[in-house]
Amino acid sequence: FLSFGIQDDHRLSTSQLEEKYGTSIDKGLSSTRAAEILARDGPNALTPPKATPEIVKFLKQMVGGFSILLWIGAVFSWISFGIQLAQGAESAFDNLYLGVVLAVVVILTGIFAYYQEAKSTNIMASFSKMIPQQALVIRDAEKKEMPADQLVVGDIVEIKGGDRIPADIRLIAAQGCKVDNSSLTGESEPQSRSCDFTHENPLETRNIAFYSTTCVEGTATGIVINTGDRTIIGRIASLASGVGNEKTPIAIEIEHFVYLVAGVAISIGVLFFIISVSMRYKILDSIIFLIGIIVANVPEGLLATVTVSLSLTAKRMAKKNCLVKNLEAVETLGSTSIICSDKTGTLTQNRMTVAHLWFDNQIYSADTSEDQTTQPFDQSSPSWTALSKIVTLCNRAEFRPGQENLPIMKRVVVGDASETALLKFAEVVLGDVMNIRARNKKVAEIPFNSTNKFQLSIHETDDPNDKRFLLVMKGAPERILERCSTIMINGKEEPLDSEKAEAFQTAYMELGGLGERVLGFCHLYLPENDFPDTYTFDTDSMNFPTSNLCFVGLLSMIDPPRSTVPDAVSKCRSAGIKVIMVTGDHPITAKAIAKSVGIISATSETVEDIAKRLNIPVEQVNRQEATAAVVNGMELKDMSLQELDEILCNHSEIVFARTSPQQKLIIVEGCQRQGAVVAVTGDGVNDSPALKKADIGIAMGIAGSDAAKNAADMVLLDDNFASIVTGVEEGRLIFDNLKKTIAYTLTKNIAELCPFLIYIIASIPMPIGTITILFIDLGTDIIPSVALAYEKAESDIMNRRPRNKKKDRLVNEQLAIYSYLQIGIMQSVGAFVTYFTVYAEQGFLPSTLLGVRVDWENNAINDFEDSYGQQWTKYQRTYLQWTGYTAFFVSITIQQVLYLTGSWWDKNMYY
Amino acid sequence: MATLNEKKTCSERMENFRRFVWNPETKLFMGRTLINWVWISLYYLAFYVVMSGIFALSIYSLMRTVNPYEPDYQDQLKSPGVTLRPDVYGHRGLQIYYNASDNKTWEGLVTMLQTFLTEYSPAAQHLNINCTSNTYFIQNTFDGPNNTKLSCKFTSDMLQNCSGIIDPTFGFPEGKPCFIVKMNRIIKFYPGNGTAPRVDCTYVGDESRPLEVEYYPVNGTFNLHYFPYYGKKAQPTYSNPLVAVKFLNITKNVEVKIVCKIIGAGITFDNIHDPYEGKVEFKLKIED
Repeated sequence: FLSFGIQDDHRLSTSQLEEKYGTSIDKGLSSTRAAEILARDGPNALTPPKATPEIVKFLKQMVGGFSILLWIGAVFSWISFGIQLAQGAESAFDNLYLGVVLAVVVILTGIFAYYQEAKSTNIMASFSKMIPQQALVIRDAEKKEMPADQLVVGDIVEIKGGDRIPADIRLIAAQGCKVDNSSLTGESEPQSRSCDFTHENPLETRNIAFYSTTCVEGTATGIVINTGDRTIIGRIASLASGVGNEKTPIAIEIEHFVYLVAGVAISIGVLFFIISVSMRYKILDSIIFLIGIIVANVPEGLLATVTVSLSLTAKRMAKKNCLVKNLEAVETLGSTSIICSDKTGTLTQNRMTVAHLWFDNQIYSADTSEDQTTQPFDQSSPSWTALSKIVTLCNRAEFRPGQENLPIMKRVVVGDASETALLKFAEVVLGDVMNIRARNKKVAEIPFNSTNKFQLSIHETDDPNDKRFLLVMKGAPERILERCSTIMINGKEEPLDSEKAEAFQTAYMELGGLGERVLGFCHLYLPENDFPDTYTFDTDSMNFPTSNLCFVGLLSMIDPPRSTVPDAVSKCRSAGIKVIMVTGDHPITAKAIAKSVGIISATSETVEDIAKRLNIPVEQVNRQEATAAVVNGMELKDMSLQELDEILCNHSEIVFARTSPQQKLIIVEGCQRQGAVVAVTGDGVNDSPALKKADIGIAMGIAGSDAAKNAADMVLLDDNFASIVTGVEEGRLIFDNLKKTIAYTLTKNIAELCPFLIYIIASIPMPIGTITILFIDLGTDIIPSVALAYEKAESDIMNRRPRNKKKDRLVNEQLAIYSYLQIGIMQSVGAFVTYFTVYAEQGFLPSTLLGVRVDWENNAINDFEDSYGQQWTKYQRTYLQWTGYTAFFVSITIQQVLYLTGSWWDKNMYY
Repeated sequence: MATLNEKKTCSERMENFRRFVWNPETKLFMGRTLINWVWISLYYLAFYVVMSGIFALSIYSLMRTVNPYEPDYQDQLKSPGVTLRPDVYGHRGLQIYYNASDNKTWEGLVTMLQTFLTEYSPAAQHLNINCTSNTYFIQNTFDGPNNTKLSCKFTSDMLQNCSGIIDPTFGFPEGKPCFIVKMNRIIKFYPGNGTAPRVDCTYVGDESRPLEVEYYPVNGTFNLHYFPYYGKKAQPTYSNPLVAVKFLNITKNVEVKIVCKIIGAGITFDNIHDPYEGKVEFKLKIED
């Protein structure tokens, strides 16, 4: 799929390359020349995705959400200040201050939101700046270690097993070099690399190693042919960054909420503007009412509260190994309805482990958990003694020295995956393997190769009385069996008749059917007479028997599921989340793992299973009956989108095996067509388009490539699927809690709004001032609403279905009605009773207050009479009005606290 | 992150809205069936009736508990406000400008004073008693008619030259205008601590400059027998005592700033926020 016009360096000969890049294979570039090229091409690093300029981010925060409404309020205030000043009114400055306060509020909340966002981005930035990579380079005829980003085209670099390839490299020498291209192409098997030109396509040819892939084993030397963004990886990365970021579900919800509240604010504002104008209020006064109504309606503190709540959750999730890059993604995980999970590393431990043994005609299971210390199967049989000896001796893998204090499972091993598994298994069961090997000295060895498909070694025995040599062999079971004439049963050699061969076949098929990699083991004690201890074994001429051996047993290995995964999958199930496995691995292995972790439950069957059970051809099976499906990448290729949709719809348990990266993208799109919120896990560069396409991309922190982490919204620091479940729980919790926060915040809006409406209609003295409202919204109410973010989850949080993003809104009809029309009204009534009480106690009985506004606010009346005949100056009245503000304020605050702590929390009110 | 909302065209939106208002298939009107709407309306009707009931009950019990004679708290009325008649307010407080030779400019002011003094005519004051003592008129019992307390008479003739009886123009055409200073009522307020409070008018900022003023009644005092005030219910016919000031030497064609303070214990005039507490300030300009 990558048909980039890459240069034809793979075709050129070594000398042509030297000429082309002006370098020398022995001496490398000169430092000065390298510096020149570095200046020309720039450092060998991927340009990070283009970031929005900070000032733009900042300004966005200043005009987003409710800010625009508040700006309008501020501008109106200033306009009326200007008009009043021009008219020479005394109280003009009140409006100036109000405008300034509104502007300050907007700027402060903007700065706060910006700061929160910057903080969460910084976590990520620090994360991506990992330890700088080093490369071994030949320059000025000297080998030097230098940072990989200093590499330039034409540099000669040396690579060895375990290194990350520092740039695109044309190999000029290689010894047993293998590279892991999985992050680039998704192939899970290591690819061997040599200096031969084997394919026209530069991506297929063996003599090019790509930037960011890893050298698994062997050594190689090569010329750097591309650096930085010009490497293949760089080009994919820039491709992925072209996919635009869309809004997260929570962003949509908040936008919906802002529209709703702004709609209410503006319609009530305009309505009362018209009413007040037609009641012959002055236009200027009407504008001031309008500002008051807007301020009362807009929950100024809410967006800051939401940001704080989200970042609190993000912090909590980071503690549980979910690093959230984008704050809003915290909630997305909660609304996820389909998880497309990778197999290797996410669901499994990503290391081969011995899972089953077969000897004495019996299958034994081995412990495959992460921290095995003992193996519980029956070890008393003499056949096991023989088998264990072969496992120990016929193995080239070794522990790296100096790890004696580490648990066996954590030690680093030099050797391939299956040998490592066998070595660790032997170490657990038998103890010091190295010592056993030393006592059984190796005299000859034929390593595994793909033609003979076996591995063989000849050892002296550790029994001083037994001078015979022991020949041990392991390999593909059918090949091993071919070479055997006897089989060991309970320590005795018995002839291998057809019945025993049948038993072997059954066991082999069974283990293979579990998706496990099976190895056969056999041995032969070489007769002392023919092979005295002075005998020289020649592995080329094979001057020793390799047939008529004695078959001992089978061992099967698998990359076992993580122990936390089955539980996590069942939690996802009960939470109504469909878990789909998408893997590049073999269907049988994939299905076996899917079954063992519960992605395919024990009782469900695929079409093929039903066919097998009923003994009918696959075509005749009623597809509706099958709840599970294992889809091969090859089948997927020929499917139309409708067929894919059908599979996604009809089967609840799906495994996609042998899939390519593009197919992963197709699957994600298919799920999204079903209206699902899709989470995708991935680690390779090839996953990055799917990670971007997904509603929430989850990258693996340990195994993941930088490109995947860049494309993802979340990083699982421990690569563990179970962490996703934690994330889902937190995501749902924050959604519930935000609902509570919003219900809490909206409630007082009515109590803030009613004063204005009553003031306009009934002409009473102003019950609450605009700035007092700001005090409630931004002062007393912030901390309680943040506290709601700490609310514990309802017990059924993980037993509900994921929310339907079209129907289950953050702010729905019930919540708005409940807050506005019920609790809001109750609070208003309470606040008004307080207000009337304060005025009555001071001398103004409620009946006196109605219709009093014009005289009350008249500066020219300084002997205003109250219900008791006392007379008040303007200032004395104003002071009383402020006392009224305080009463109203305290009343709302107390009612809010009661609402918060009250036992009438009825959670069902919100769903 | 993938796109979640598909763009809708305007006509689709309108169609959706129409379906929302009336959906013929499900028979839903605005998302509910009609019977559902009836129920919900009844619910809210009941809810609001109950809420109104609670509100009414609260106000009712409030009215039952407040003292009908005097308010429970008077902490916001520590010192009485002072007002001036005639009162013409400009942008920055009281401004009395007139042209002595143009009677149209001062007729309004004179009418204002006359209207104000109608309440102090002997006919208007006939229910009040004549008081002679110069001490506080303390009444612990309800001796008046209909279970009220008695109020002392204050008639306009007590203002002598400024009563409008001798000079119906209150001295405006001569450039020696009368102003009436009134102190606000505060229940159970005992001004002056035994000595009658008096009005004192000076130029603002330049108190040494002589301002010739005649005060009526003599010395510009409020007689103590008008105090304390027992409230509207106890003293329905109470009227504030007045002091008239007549300025004799106002320079013509110049705007002068005058302040009339009430001097007496318990009356403060230094509240910087309240220009009418214990004093009244005004600008006066008389033109020829």
